Amino acid sequence: MIDWSTFPLVVGVALVAACVLVTLFSLALRVGDGTESWRRPASVGLFVLCALVVAFGIYLIVPALHAFG
Amino acid sequence: MDISLVVVLVVALALFFDFTNGFHDTANAMATPIATGALKPKVAVAIAAILNLVGAFLSTEVAKTISGGLIREGDSGVQITPVLILAGLIGAIVWNLVTWLLGLPSSSSHALFGGLIGAVAVGVGFGAIDGAVLVSKILIPAVLAPFTAGLVSFVATKIAYAITKKRERDGFKRGQIFTSSLVSLAHGTNDAQKTMGVITLTLIAAGMQPSGSGPELWVIAACALAIAIGTYSGGWRIIKTLGRDITDIEPAQGFAAEAATTATILASTHLGFALSTTQVASGSVIGTGVGRKGASVRWKTAGRIALGWLITIPAAGLVGAAAAFIAGFGLWGVIIDVVLAIGAILTIFLRSRRSKVDHRQFHVPEPGVFVRPKKRKKAGAR
Repeated sequence: MIDWSTFPLVVGVALVAACVLVTLFSLALRVGDGTESWRRPASVGLFVLCALVVAFGIYLIVPALHAFG
Repeated sequence: MDISLVVVLVVALALFFDFTNGFHDTANAMATPIATGALKPKVAVAIAAILNLVGAFLSTEVAKTISGGLIREGDSGVQITPVLILAGLIGAIVWNLVTWLLGLPSSSSHALFGGLIGAVAVGVGFGAIDGAVLVSKILIPAVLAPFTAGLVSFVATKIAYAITKKRERDGFKRGQIFTSSLVSLAHGTNDAQKTMGVITLTLIAAGMQPSGSGPELWVIAACALAIAIGTYSGGWRIIKTLGRDITDIEPAQGFAAEAATTATILASTHLGFALSTTQVASGSVIGTGVGRKGASVRWKTAGRIALGWLITIPAAGLVGAAAAFIAGFGLWGVIIDVVLAIGAILTIFLRSRRSKVDHRQFHVPEPGVFVRPKKRKKAGAR
């Protein structure tokens, strides 16, 4: 059966997760556009955060990584 | 009836279903990167194929029942015989190919459920089908999936366009490679499992494998390979529908849509109920089309897709029911079924050649190479 109480949770989590990833990636592009010396490391840092989000996605997809027993 | 012949036929048809499942669903992950030129068409389907192959081996969780509780199986319920599974598979395969010919992204799981429901309704009776499960596991998620993904994709698109400037947005192409790969991997860990479940349960029903045991290695390998080959052959018609026909997709939109697809699928599988990848991906594409200023969604195409979802279960069910009816005549019925199925498959493939859609139509020119110099014809040469 569908547990209706989980539906808002699913929508909320999906919304937050997708928006966090898109925000990070967009900021990385925005910050990386320019010649000042601080821009490049800041942009790379944001891309690394994106990579972490993606890595968490892989962790969730592969059952062997999060299943116990 | 010769049970081993039926088992061989079921295994063959199940693997063919797996193949159609693969090429039907390439579009879910790869329609958007192909449409924006983030990945070359052949490269995109190759990545998707490899990730589906890997994904099939990664997941250890195999469907315990073929129908996911739709059909009252087990001791108190009905015994699904290999012959009924065969009929159900025929229904699923034929409907998957028809929707492919029409370029409709429809759920392969729904086709399989529909085929099985039809076969069981004829072979056992409608009482064997659990209507409440049908509504709560199939119908309600089918309505929720596109709206959820559409909303998430809409908001994500708005954010992407609010933060970035126009000249920076080509950078999203690189991100698309990763997000679309995630969708592919998630697909691989899910979809090959269905076929493994079908084959394993058939082998158990035929007494060739101990009850309660998991899939044999050759079953896992064969299913992984079948879905990977299917993915690589690329359902270009469906890629065209999803990537081009619904709305024109820019790299930022592609990234936002794929992020929305991944997030929605992962959130739903881990927190609540399973949603169909196909329906989520389609919803994301529509959502991103609504979210970008100046983009237009072709609602007529979207409507056709929705109509396809509506009739998937009844249509696959009708074919499955007809196949089950014919199979009721014994071994010859089964043989006639398989011959008819092969005939239908060949007819659809021949039909598809009349209007060919392949990877060459998805060429996205490199920036600055908009005009290709024409080769000069030499006088006298053809």
